[in-house]
Amino acid sequence: MKPKHTRDTWGSRLGIIMAVAGSAVGLGNFLRFPVQAAGNGGGAFMIPYFISLLLLGLPLMWIEWTLGRFGGGFEHGTAPGIFHTVWKKNRFIKYFGVIGIFGPFVIFIYYTFIESWTLAYSYYSLKGLYTQAADQASMQAFLKGYQGIEHNAFFQGLGPAYIFFLITFALNIFVVYFGIKGGIETLSKIAMPILLCFGVLLMVRVLTLGTPDPAKPDWNLLNGLGFLWNPDFSALKSAKVWLAAAGQIFFTLSVGIGVILTYASYLSRGDDVALSGLTAVTTNEIAEVVIGGSIIIPAAFVFFGPLGIQAVAKQGAFDLGFVTMPFIIGKLPLSALLGFLWFGLLFLAGITSSISLAQPAIAFLEDEFNITRRRAVSIFAAFAFILCQPAIFLLSKGVVNELDFWGGTFCLVLFGTVEAILFAWVFGMDKAWEEIHHGADIRVPGIYKFIIKFITPLFLLCILGFWFYQEGLPTILLKGVEEANRPYIFWTRIGLISLFVLLSVLVKIAWSKRAKKAQRELI
Amino acid sequence: MNTGGWTFLALSWGGIIGLGVFCFYKVFSKRKIS
Repeated sequence: MKPKHTRDTWGSRLGIIMAVAGSAVGLGNFLRFPVQAAGNGGGAFMIPYFISLLLLGLPLMWIEWTLGRFGGGFEHGTAPGIFHTVWKKNRFIKYFGVIGIFGPFVIFIYYTFIESWTLAYSYYSLKGLYTQAADQASMQAFLKGYQGIEHNAFFQGLGPAYIFFLITFALNIFVVYFGIKGGIETLSKIAMPILLCFGVLLMVRVLTLGTPDPAKPDWNLLNGLGFLWNPDFSALKSAKVWLAAAGQIFFTLSVGIGVILTYASYLSRGDDVALSGLTAVTTNEIAEVVIGGSIIIPAAFVFFGPLGIQAVAKQGAFDLGFVTMPFIIGKLPLSALLGFLWFGLLFLAGITSSISLAQPAIAFLEDEFNITRRRAVSIFAAFAFILCQPAIFLLSKGVVNELDFWGGTFCLVLFGTVEAILFAWVFGMDKAWEEIHHGADIRVPGIYKFIIKFITPLFLLCILGFWFYQEGLPTILLKGVEEANRPYIFWTRIGLISLFVLLSVLVKIAWSKRAKKAQRELI
Repeated sequence: MNTGGWTFLALSWGGIIGLGVFCFYKVFSKRKIS
Protein backbone atom coordinates (compact mmCIF):
# COMPACT_ATOMS: atom_id res chain seq x y z
CA MET A 1 0.00 0.00 0.00
CA LYS A 2 1.34 3.42 -0.89
CA PRO A 3 1.84 5.64 2.17
CA LYS A 4 -0.61 8.55 2.32
CA HIS A 5 1.94 10.96 3.67
CA THR A 6 5.59 11.53 2.99
CA ARG A 7 7.61 13.23 5.71
CA ASP A 8 8.36 16.90 5.24
CA THR A 9 11.90 18.26 5.32
CA TRP A 10 13.43 21.66 6.11
CA GLY A 11 14.33 23.76 3.11
CA SER A 12 17.45 25.27 4.63
CA ARG A 13 19.58 25.12 7.71
CA LEU A 14 18.76 28.71 8.59
CA GLY A 15 15.09 27.72 8.41
CA ILE A 16 15.27 25.16 11.21
CA ILE A 17 17.52 27.41 13.33
CA MET A 18 15.03 30.28 13.01
CA ALA A 19 12.11 27.91 13.70
CA VAL A 20 13.72 26.49 16.87
CA ALA A 21 14.81 29.98 17.99
CA GLY A 22 11.28 31.23 17.19
CA SER A 23 9.84 28.47 19.33
CA ALA A 24 12.16 29.44 22.20
CA VAL A 25 11.73 33.21 21.90
CA GLY A 26 8.34 33.82 23.46
CA LEU A 27 6.58 36.24 25.76
CA GLY A 28 8.82 35.08 28.63
CA ASN A 29 11.95 36.54 27.00
CA PHE A 30 10.58 40.06 27.22
CA LEU A 31 8.36 39.79 30.31
CA ARG A 32 9.59 36.99 32.60
CA PHE A 33 13.38 37.33 32.30
CA PRO A 34 13.74 41.00 33.38
CA VAL A 35 11.41 40.44 36.37
CA GLN A 36 13.36 37.35 37.44
CA ALA A 37 16.73 39.07 37.07
CA ALA A 38 15.70 42.26 38.88
CA GLY A 39 14.12 40.31 41.73
CA ASN A 40 16.93 37.81 42.22
CA GLY A 41 20.18 39.68 42.68
CA GLY A 42 20.37 41.83 39.52
CA GLY A 43 23.72 41.30 37.76
CA ALA A 44 24.60 38.52 40.22
CA PHE A 45 21.58 36.58 38.86
CA MET A 46 23.56 36.19 35.65
CA ILE A 47 26.08 33.91 37.43
CA PRO A 48 23.60 31.08 38.17
CA TYR A 49 21.83 31.96 34.91
CA PHE A 50 24.89 31.30 32.74
CA ILE A 51 25.97 28.29 34.82
CA SER A 52 22.47 26.84 34.25
CA LEU A 53 22.74 27.65 30.57
CA LEU A 54 26.01 25.71 30.29
CA LEU A 55 25.02 22.76 32.49
CA LEU A 56 21.34 22.45 31.70
CA GLY A 57 20.15 24.48 28.72
CA LEU A 58 22.83 23.68 26.16
CA PRO A 59 23.05 19.95 26.98
CA LEU A 60 19.26 19.58 26.81
CA MET A 61 19.20 21.44 23.51
CA TRP A 62 21.79 19.05 22.05
CA ILE A 63 19.97 16.04 23.52
CA GLU A 64 16.67 17.05 21.90
CA TRP A 65 18.17 17.92 18.51
CA THR A 66 20.06 14.61 18.48
CA LEU A 67 17.17 12.43 19.67
CA GLY A 68 14.81 14.17 17.23
CA ARG A 69 17.06 13.59 14.22
CA PHE A 70 17.64 9.98 15.34
CA GLY A 71 13.89 9.30 15.65
CA GLY A 72 13.15 11.01 12.35
CA GLY A 73 15.38 8.43 10.67
CA PHE A 74 12.82 5.82 11.78
CA GLU A 75 9.88 7.94 10.55
CA HIS A 76 8.96 9.02 14.09
CA GLY A 77 8.48 12.72 14.73
CA THR A 78 7.18 12.65 18.29
CA ALA A 79 8.34 11.41 21.66
CA PRO A 80 6.37 8.12 21.87
CA GLY A 81 8.02 6.80 18.70
CA ILE A 82 11.42 8.37 19.40
CA PHE A 83 11.57 7.01 22.96
CA HIS A 84 10.46 3.59 21.72
CA THR A 85 13.18 3.63 19.06
CA VAL A 86 15.80 4.45 21.71
CA TRP A 87 14.58 1.81 24.19
CA LYS A 88 12.92 -0.93 22.14
CA LYS A 89 12.94 -3.49 24.95
CA ASN A 90 10.77 -1.35 27.20
CA ARG A 91 7.05 -1.60 26.41
CA PHE A 92 6.08 1.38 28.57
CA ILE A 93 8.55 4.06 27.52
CA LYS A 94 6.32 5.12 24.61
CA TYR A 95 3.64 6.10 27.15
CA PHE A 96 6.16 8.42 28.86
CA GLY A 97 6.58 9.92 25.42
CA VAL A 98 2.89 10.90 25.45
CA ILE A 99 3.99 13.84 27.66
CA GLY A 100 5.79 15.18 24.57
CA ILE A 101 2.45 15.56 22.76
CA PHE A 102 0.23 16.28 25.75
CA GLY A 103 2.41 19.14 27.11
CA PRO A 104 2.61 21.25 23.95
CA PHE A 105 -1.06 20.62 23.18
CA VAL A 106 -2.13 21.84 26.63
CA ILE A 107 0.08 24.92 26.33
CA PHE A 108 -1.36 25.63 22.86
CA ILE A 109 -4.87 25.66 24.35
CA TYR A 110 -4.24 28.74 26.50
CA TYR A 111 -1.20 30.26 24.78
CA THR A 112 -3.15 31.03 21.59
CA PHE A 113 -5.65 33.06 23.62
CA ILE A 114 -2.91 35.07 25.36
CA GLU A 115 -1.16 35.54 22.01
CA SER A 116 -4.41 36.98 20.63
CA TRP A 117 -4.30 39.71 23.32
CA THR A 118 -1.01 40.93 21.83
CA LEU A 119 -2.58 41.08 18.37
CA ALA A 120 -5.54 43.02 19.77
CA TYR A 121 -3.31 45.43 21.68
CA SER A 122 -1.22 46.01 18.51
CA TYR A 123 -4.43 47.06 16.78
CA TYR A 124 -5.59 49.14 19.76
CA SER A 125 -2.16 50.86 19.80
CA LEU A 126 -2.58 52.04 16.23
CA LYS A 127 -6.17 53.16 16.97
CA GLY A 128 -5.04 54.91 20.17
CA LEU A 129 -7.74 53.14 22.20
CA TYR A 130 -5.92 52.36 25.42
CA THR A 131 -4.30 55.79 25.63
CA GLN A 132 -7.69 56.92 27.03
CA ALA A 133 -6.66 55.13 30.23
CA ALA A 134 -5.32 57.94 32.43
CA ASP A 135 -3.53 55.87 35.06
CA GLN A 136 -2.42 52.33 35.88
CA ALA A 137 -5.77 51.48 37.50
CA SER A 138 -7.60 52.48 34.30
CA MET A 139 -5.13 50.43 32.25
CA GLN A 140 -5.85 47.47 34.52
CA ALA A 141 -9.57 48.03 33.98
CA PHE A 142 -8.94 48.09 30.21
CA LEU A 143 -7.23 44.67 30.43
CA LYS A 144 -9.91 43.15 32.67
CA GLY A 145 -12.65 44.53 30.44
CA TYR A 146 -10.95 43.08 27.38
CA GLN A 147 -10.55 39.68 29.07
CA GLY A 148 -14.26 39.69 29.89
CA ILE A 149 -13.55 39.58 33.62
CA GLU A 150 -15.50 42.79 34.21
CA HIS A 151 -17.89 45.03 32.28
CA ASN A 152 -16.67 48.62 32.25
CA ALA A 153 -16.42 51.78 30.19
CA PHE A 154 -13.85 50.18 27.88
CA PHE A 155 -15.52 46.83 27.12
CA GLN A 156 -19.02 45.45 27.59
CA GLY A 157 -18.21 41.81 26.95
CA LEU A 158 -15.83 39.23 25.57
CA GLY A 159 -16.77 39.88 21.91
CA PRO A 160 -13.62 41.78 20.79
CA ALA A 161 -11.33 39.33 22.60
CA TYR A 162 -13.11 36.40 20.94
CA ILE A 163 -12.77 37.93 17.48
CA PHE A 164 -9.02 38.43 17.97
CA PHE A 165 -8.77 34.87 19.29
CA LEU A 166 -10.48 33.57 16.14
CA ILE A 167 -8.07 35.53 13.92
CA THR A 168 -5.03 34.30 15.88
CA PHE A 169 -6.24 30.70 15.92
CA ALA A 170 -6.93 30.81 12.16
CA LEU A 171 -3.46 32.27 11.49
CA ASN A 172 -1.84 29.45 13.46
CA ILE A 173 -3.79 26.78 11.61
CA PHE A 174 -3.09 28.49 8.27
CA VAL A 175 0.68 28.34 8.93
CA VAL A 176 0.82 24.71 10.09
CA TYR A 177 -1.46 23.70 7.20
CA PHE A 178 1.35 24.58 4.79
CA GLY A 179 3.72 22.20 6.55
CA ILE A 180 7.28 22.42 7.77
CA LYS A 181 8.93 24.05 4.78
CA GLY A 182 6.01 25.99 3.29
CA GLY A 183 4.45 27.13 6.56
CA ILE A 184 6.62 27.00 9.69
CA GLU A 185 9.97 27.68 8.00
CA THR A 186 8.60 30.48 5.83
CA LEU A 187 6.94 32.24 8.76
CA SER A 188 9.99 31.84 11.04
CA LYS A 189 12.37 33.23 8.41
CA ILE A 190 10.16 36.30 7.99
CA ALA A 191 8.98 36.79 11.57
CA MET A 192 12.28 36.34 13.44
CA PRO A 193 14.21 39.16 11.68
CA ILE A 194 11.17 41.46 12.04
CA LEU A 195 10.88 40.54 15.72
CA LEU A 196 14.57 41.32 16.30
CA CYS A 197 14.22 44.64 14.42
CA PHE A 198 11.16 45.62 16.53
CA GLY A 199 13.12 44.65 19.66
CA VAL A 200 16.18 46.70 18.67
CA LEU A 201 14.02 49.75 17.81
CA LEU A 202 12.29 49.60 21.19
CA MET A 203 15.61 49.02 22.94
CA VAL A 204 17.12 52.09 21.28
CA ARG A 205 14.07 54.17 22.28
CA VAL A 206 14.33 53.06 25.93
CA LEU A 207 18.11 53.52 26.03
CA THR A 208 17.70 57.11 24.85
CA LEU A 209 15.07 58.01 27.47
CA GLY A 210 17.64 59.82 29.63
CA THR A 211 15.91 61.63 32.51
CA PRO A 212 12.34 62.36 31.33
CA ASP A 213 11.38 64.27 34.51
CA PRO A 214 14.03 66.87 35.42
CA ALA A 215 12.36 67.26 38.84
CA LYS A 216 13.41 63.67 39.62
CA PRO A 217 17.04 63.43 38.46
CA ASP A 218 17.56 60.00 40.10
CA TRP A 219 14.81 58.50 37.95
CA ASN A 220 17.13 58.14 34.98
CA LEU A 221 18.04 55.45 32.51
CA LEU A 222 21.44 54.59 33.99
CA ASN A 223 19.89 53.97 37.39
CA GLY A 224 17.22 51.90 35.61
CA LEU A 225 19.90 49.73 34.03
CA GLY A 226 21.61 49.62 37.43
CA PHE A 227 18.38 48.27 38.99
CA LEU A 228 18.66 45.29 36.66
CA TRP A 229 22.44 44.85 36.47
CA ASN A 230 24.04 46.04 39.77
CA PRO A 231 25.12 42.77 41.39
CA ASP A 232 23.90 41.74 44.83
CA PHE A 233 26.25 38.88 45.64
CA SER A 234 24.42 38.01 48.87
CA ALA A 235 21.59 36.69 46.66
CA LEU A 236 23.89 33.87 45.53
CA LYS A 237 23.63 32.30 48.98
CA SER A 238 19.94 31.70 48.40
CA ALA A 239 18.85 28.38 46.86
CA LYS A 240 15.74 30.21 45.63
CA VAL A 241 17.87 32.41 43.35
CA TRP A 242 19.69 29.41 41.86
CA LEU A 243 16.38 27.65 41.32
CA ALA A 244 14.92 30.77 39.69
CA ALA A 245 17.90 30.99 37.31
CA ALA A 246 17.71 27.29 36.41
CA GLY A 247 13.95 27.62 35.91
CA GLN A 248 14.36 30.64 33.67
CA ILE A 249 16.91 28.82 31.48
CA PHE A 250 14.71 25.77 31.32
CA PHE A 251 11.55 27.65 30.36
CA THR A 252 13.15 30.10 27.96
CA LEU A 253 14.76 27.52 25.67
CA SER A 254 11.62 25.49 24.91
CA VAL A 255 13.41 22.35 26.08
CA GLY A 256 11.39 19.63 27.78
CA ILE A 257 8.29 20.36 25.72
CA GLY A 258 8.82 17.94 22.85
CA VAL A 259 8.79 20.63 20.18
CA ILE A 260 12.51 20.50 19.36
CA LEU A 261 12.32 16.69 19.09
CA THR A 262 9.64 17.12 16.45
CA TYR A 263 11.40 19.91 14.56
CA ALA A 264 14.70 18.00 14.50
CA SER A 265 12.96 14.85 13.26
CA TYR A 266 12.61 16.56 9.86
CA LEU A 267 16.41 16.74 9.49
CA SER A 268 18.35 14.23 7.43
CA ARG A 269 20.79 11.85 9.06
CA GLY A 270 23.83 13.78 7.82
CA ASP A 271 22.65 17.23 8.96
CA ASP A 272 24.48 19.03 11.72
CA VAL A 273 22.84 19.33 15.13
CA ALA A 274 25.74 20.59 17.27
CA LEU A 275 26.20 24.02 15.66
CA SER A 276 22.52 24.44 14.81
CA GLY A 277 21.49 23.77 18.42
CA LEU A 278 24.11 26.22 19.73
CA THR A 279 23.00 28.88 17.24
CA ALA A 280 19.34 28.53 18.24
CA VAL A 281 20.31 28.89 21.92
CA THR A 282 22.43 31.98 21.18
CA THR A 283 19.64 33.63 19.18
CA ASN A 284 17.28 33.10 22.09
CA GLU A 285 19.81 34.58 24.52
CA ILE A 286 20.31 37.67 22.36
CA ALA A 287 16.54 38.21 22.38
CA GLU A 288 16.32 37.60 26.14
CA VAL A 289 19.39 39.14 27.78
CA VAL A 290 20.34 41.87 25.33
CA ILE A 291 16.89 42.98 24.08
CA GLY A 292 14.52 41.70 26.79
CA GLY A 293 16.71 43.11 29.57
CA SER A 294 16.84 46.55 27.96
CA ILE A 295 13.17 47.38 27.53
CA ILE A 296 10.63 46.92 30.27
CA ILE A 297 12.60 47.25 33.53
CA PRO A 298 14.72 50.30 32.59
CA ALA A 299 11.62 51.99 31.10
CA ALA A 300 9.50 51.26 34.18
CA PHE A 301 12.28 52.57 36.47
CA VAL A 302 12.48 55.86 34.63
CA PHE A 303 8.74 56.45 35.07
CA PHE A 304 8.07 54.89 38.49
CA GLY A 305 11.37 55.40 40.32
CA PRO A 306 13.25 53.03 42.67
CA LEU A 307 10.28 52.41 44.99
CA GLY A 308 7.59 52.28 42.33
CA ILE A 309 9.49 49.70 40.27
CA GLN A 310 9.54 47.26 43.21
CA ALA A 311 5.75 47.35 43.31
CA VAL A 312 5.54 47.13 39.53
CA ALA A 313 7.88 44.11 39.39
CA LYS A 314 5.76 42.32 41.99
CA GLN A 315 2.63 42.65 39.81
CA GLY A 316 3.88 39.81 37.67
CA ALA A 317 4.90 39.47 34.06
CA PHE A 318 1.45 39.89 32.48
CA ASP A 319 0.59 43.11 34.26
CA LEU A 320 4.02 44.40 33.38
CA GLY A 321 3.43 43.69 29.68
CA PHE A 322 -0.24 44.62 29.34
CA VAL A 323 -0.71 47.29 32.02
CA THR A 324 2.60 48.97 32.89
CA MET A 325 4.21 48.97 29.46
CA PRO A 326 1.26 50.45 27.51
CA PHE A 327 0.87 53.04 30.29
CA ILE A 328 4.54 54.04 29.89
CA ILE A 329 4.28 54.04 26.10
CA GLY A 330 1.26 56.32 26.39
CA LYS A 331 3.49 58.96 27.98
CA LEU A 332 5.99 58.99 25.12
CA PRO A 333 5.88 60.76 21.76
CA LEU A 334 4.84 58.48 18.86
CA SER A 335 2.99 56.30 21.37
CA ALA A 336 0.85 54.64 18.67
CA LEU A 337 3.94 53.46 16.79
CA LEU A 338 5.81 52.39 19.94
CA GLY A 339 2.75 50.51 21.22
CA PHE A 340 2.42 48.75 17.87
CA LEU A 341 6.14 47.81 17.99
CA TRP A 342 5.87 46.48 21.56
CA PHE A 343 2.75 44.37 21.03
CA GLY A 344 3.85 43.44 17.50
CA LEU A 345 7.07 42.14 19.04
CA LEU A 346 5.09 40.08 21.56
CA PHE A 347 2.73 38.80 18.86
CA LEU A 348 5.58 37.62 16.61
CA ALA A 349 7.29 36.02 19.61
CA GLY A 350 3.96 34.36 20.42
CA ILE A 351 3.04 33.02 16.99
CA THR A 352 6.48 31.52 16.28
CA SER A 353 6.07 29.66 19.59
CA SER A 354 2.43 28.60 19.19
CA ILE A 355 2.90 27.06 15.73
CA SER A 356 5.69 24.96 17.23
CA LEU A 357 3.31 23.83 19.99
CA ALA A 358 0.81 22.62 17.39
CA GLN A 359 3.34 20.61 15.41
CA PRO A 360 3.93 17.59 17.75
CA ALA A 361 0.22 16.61 17.77
CA ILE A 362 0.00 17.04 13.99
CA ALA A 363 3.23 15.08 13.41
CA PHE A 364 1.92 12.31 15.68
CA LEU A 365 -1.25 11.92 13.62
CA GLU A 366 0.67 12.02 10.34
CA ASP A 367 3.50 9.67 11.30
CA GLU A 368 1.76 7.12 13.49
CA PHE A 369 -1.61 6.96 11.67
CA ASN A 370 -0.28 7.53 8.17
CA ILE A 371 -2.74 10.28 7.32
CA THR A 372 -2.26 13.35 5.18
CA ARG A 373 -1.17 16.67 6.65
CA ARG A 374 -4.45 18.23 5.57
CA ARG A 375 -6.43 15.68 7.54
CA ALA A 376 -4.09 15.81 10.54
CA VAL A 377 -4.32 19.61 10.69
CA SER A 378 -8.14 19.46 10.39
CA ILE A 379 -8.42 16.98 13.28
CA PHE A 380 -6.00 19.03 15.37
CA ALA A 381 -7.80 22.30 14.62
CA ALA A 382 -11.26 20.94 15.49
CA PHE A 383 -10.08 19.36 18.73
CA ALA A 384 -7.90 22.32 19.81
CA PHE A 385 -10.65 24.83 19.04
CA ILE A 386 -13.09 23.05 21.34
CA LEU A 387 -10.52 22.76 24.14
CA CYS A 388 -9.55 26.44 23.86
CA GLN A 389 -13.05 27.49 24.98
CA PRO A 390 -12.66 26.83 28.74
CA ALA A 391 -9.39 28.82 28.72
CA ILE A 392 -11.25 31.77 27.17
CA PHE A 393 -14.51 31.73 29.08
CA LEU A 394 -13.18 30.53 32.45
CA LEU A 395 -10.04 32.68 32.62
CA SER A 396 -11.12 34.33 35.87
CA LYS A 397 -11.76 30.93 37.47
CA GLY A 398 -8.08 29.99 37.42
CA VAL A 399 -8.36 27.53 34.51
CA VAL A 400 -5.43 29.05 32.56
CA ASN A 401 -3.19 28.93 35.64
CA GLU A 402 -4.09 25.28 36.11
CA LEU A 403 -3.36 24.44 32.45
CA ASP A 404 -0.08 26.35 32.70
CA PHE A 405 0.92 24.43 35.82
CA TRP A 406 0.42 20.99 34.26
CA GLY A 407 1.26 21.67 30.61
CA GLY A 408 3.78 24.47 30.95
CA THR A 409 5.62 23.54 34.14
CA PHE A 410 5.10 20.03 35.51
CA CYS A 411 5.29 18.22 32.16
CA LEU A 412 8.35 20.20 31.06
CA VAL A 413 10.49 19.37 34.06
CA LEU A 414 9.37 15.73 34.11
CA PHE A 415 9.84 15.25 30.37
CA GLY A 416 13.25 16.95 30.39
CA THR A 417 14.42 14.65 33.19
CA VAL A 418 13.15 11.51 31.43
CA GLU A 419 14.77 12.36 28.09
CA ALA A 420 18.12 13.32 29.69
CA ILE A 421 18.29 9.99 31.54
CA LEU A 422 17.12 8.09 28.46
CA PHE A 423 19.73 9.73 26.27
CA ALA A 424 22.74 9.40 28.57
CA TRP A 425 21.98 6.14 30.30
CA VAL A 426 19.76 4.04 28.04
CA PHE A 427 20.91 5.16 24.60
CA GLY A 428 24.40 5.11 26.10
CA MET A 429 26.83 8.00 26.33
CA ASP A 430 29.34 6.65 23.80
CA LYS A 431 26.64 6.11 21.18
CA ALA A 432 25.02 9.44 22.12
CA TRP A 433 28.32 11.30 21.73
CA GLU A 434 28.87 9.73 18.32
CA GLU A 435 25.32 10.65 17.33
CA ILE A 436 25.75 14.32 18.37
CA HIS A 437 28.87 14.55 16.20
CA HIS A 438 27.44 12.80 13.17
CA GLY A 439 27.57 15.46 10.44
CA ALA A 440 28.52 18.10 13.02
CA ASP A 441 30.10 21.40 11.97
CA ILE A 442 31.63 22.02 15.39
CA ARG A 443 33.13 19.72 17.96
CA VAL A 444 31.32 19.83 21.31
CA PRO A 445 33.91 20.25 24.13
CA GLY A 446 34.81 16.85 25.64
CA ILE A 447 33.73 17.98 29.13
CA TYR A 448 30.13 17.79 27.88
CA LYS A 449 30.35 14.01 27.75
CA PHE A 450 30.65 14.11 31.53
CA ILE A 451 28.14 16.95 31.92
CA ILE A 452 25.44 15.25 29.81
CA LYS A 453 25.94 11.92 31.56
CA PHE A 454 26.07 13.07 35.17
CA ILE A 455 25.52 16.76 35.77
CA THR A 456 22.47 17.48 33.58
CA PRO A 457 20.34 14.55 34.85
CA LEU A 458 21.37 15.33 38.44
CA PHE A 459 20.63 19.03 37.99
CA LEU A 460 17.22 18.15 36.54
CA LEU A 461 16.43 15.74 39.39
CA CYS A 462 17.33 18.50 41.88
CA ILE A 463 15.10 21.01 40.08
CA LEU A 464 12.28 18.44 39.93
CA GLY A 465 12.62 17.70 43.67
CA PHE A 466 12.95 21.33 44.81
CA TRP A 467 10.25 22.53 42.49
CA PHE A 468 7.88 19.74 43.52
CA TYR A 469 8.42 20.58 47.19
CA GLN A 470 8.19 24.37 46.79
CA GLU A 471 5.47 24.79 44.18
CA GLY A 472 4.24 21.43 42.93
CA LEU A 473 2.79 20.02 46.14
CA PRO A 474 0.95 23.20 47.24
CA THR A 475 -0.54 23.56 43.75
CA ILE A 476 -1.61 19.92 43.57
CA LEU A 477 -3.24 20.27 47.00
CA LEU A 478 -5.09 23.41 45.74
CA LYS A 479 -3.48 25.65 48.36
CA GLY A 480 -4.40 29.28 47.77
CA VAL A 481 -7.23 28.38 45.37
CA GLU A 482 -10.47 30.21 46.17
CA GLU A 483 -13.28 27.96 47.34
CA ALA A 484 -15.55 29.18 44.52
CA ASN A 485 -12.97 28.21 41.87
CA ARG A 486 -12.31 24.69 43.13
CA PRO A 487 -15.00 22.96 41.02
CA TYR A 488 -13.52 24.56 37.88
CA ILE A 489 -10.03 23.39 38.81
CA PHE A 490 -11.38 19.92 39.58
CA TRP A 491 -13.05 19.61 36.18
CA THR A 492 -9.97 21.02 34.43
CA ARG A 493 -7.93 18.25 36.02
CA ILE A 494 -10.48 15.63 34.96
CA GLY A 495 -10.28 17.05 31.43
CA LEU A 496 -6.48 16.90 31.43
CA ILE A 497 -6.45 13.32 32.71
CA SER A 498 -8.97 12.37 30.00
CA LEU A 499 -6.78 14.01 27.34
CA PHE A 500 -3.70 12.14 28.56
CA VAL A 501 -5.63 8.84 28.60
CA LEU A 502 -6.96 9.52 25.09
CA LEU A 503 -3.45 10.18 23.75
CA SER A 504 -2.18 7.02 25.47
CA VAL A 505 -4.97 4.99 23.86
CA LEU A 506 -4.04 6.48 20.47
CA VAL A 507 -0.43 5.41 21.04
CA LYS A 508 -1.64 1.92 21.93
CA ILE A 509 -3.79 1.74 18.76
CA ALA A 510 -0.95 3.03 16.57
CA TRP A 511 1.48 0.45 17.91
CA SER A 512 -1.06 -2.39 17.57
CA LYS A 513 -1.60 -1.40 13.93
CA ARG A 514 2.14 -1.25 13.39
CA ALA A 515 2.61 -4.73 14.92
CA LYS A 516 -0.18 -6.20 12.76
CA LYS A 517 1.31 -4.65 9.64
CA ALA A 518 4.74 -6.08 10.49
CA GLN A 519 3.17 -9.52 10.98
CA ARG A 520 1.37 -9.33 7.61
CA GLU A 521 4.62 -8.36 5.90
CA LEU A 522 6.37 -11.36 7.48
CA ILE A 523 3.68 -13.70 6.14
CA MET B 1 24.76 51.97 37.61
CA ASN B 2 27.88 50.95 39.51
CA THR B 3 31.08 49.34 38.21
CA GLY B 4 29.80 45.85 39.04
CA GLY B 5 26.65 46.50 37.01
CA TRP B 6 28.65 47.69 34.01
CA THR B 7 30.95 44.67 34.32
CA PHE B 8 28.08 42.18 34.35
CA LEU B 9 26.31 43.96 31.51
CA ALA B 10 29.46 44.09 29.38
CA LEU B 11 30.41 40.45 30.05
CA SER B 12 26.88 39.16 29.41
CA TRP B 13 26.28 41.16 26.26
CA GLY B 14 29.82 40.62 24.99
CA GLY B 15 29.69 36.87 25.58
CA ILE B 16 26.29 36.38 23.97
CA ILE B 17 26.85 38.67 20.99
CA GLY B 18 30.35 37.23 20.43
CA LEU B 19 28.97 33.68 20.46
CA GLY B 20 26.18 34.77 18.13
CA VAL B 21 28.67 36.20 15.61
CA PHE B 22 30.74 33.00 15.79
CA CYS B 23 27.70 30.74 15.31
CA PHE B 24 26.17 32.66 12.41
CA TYR B 25 29.56 33.00 10.72
CA LYS B 26 29.95 29.21 10.88
CA VAL B 27 26.36 28.63 9.75
CA PHE B 28 26.62 30.94 6.74
CA SER B 29 30.02 29.65 5.75
CA LYS B 30 28.46 26.16 5.37
CA ARG B 31 24.99 27.23 4.48
CA LYS B 32 23.37 24.28 2.71
CA ILE B 33 22.31 21.25 4.66
CA SER B 34 23.61 18.08 3.10
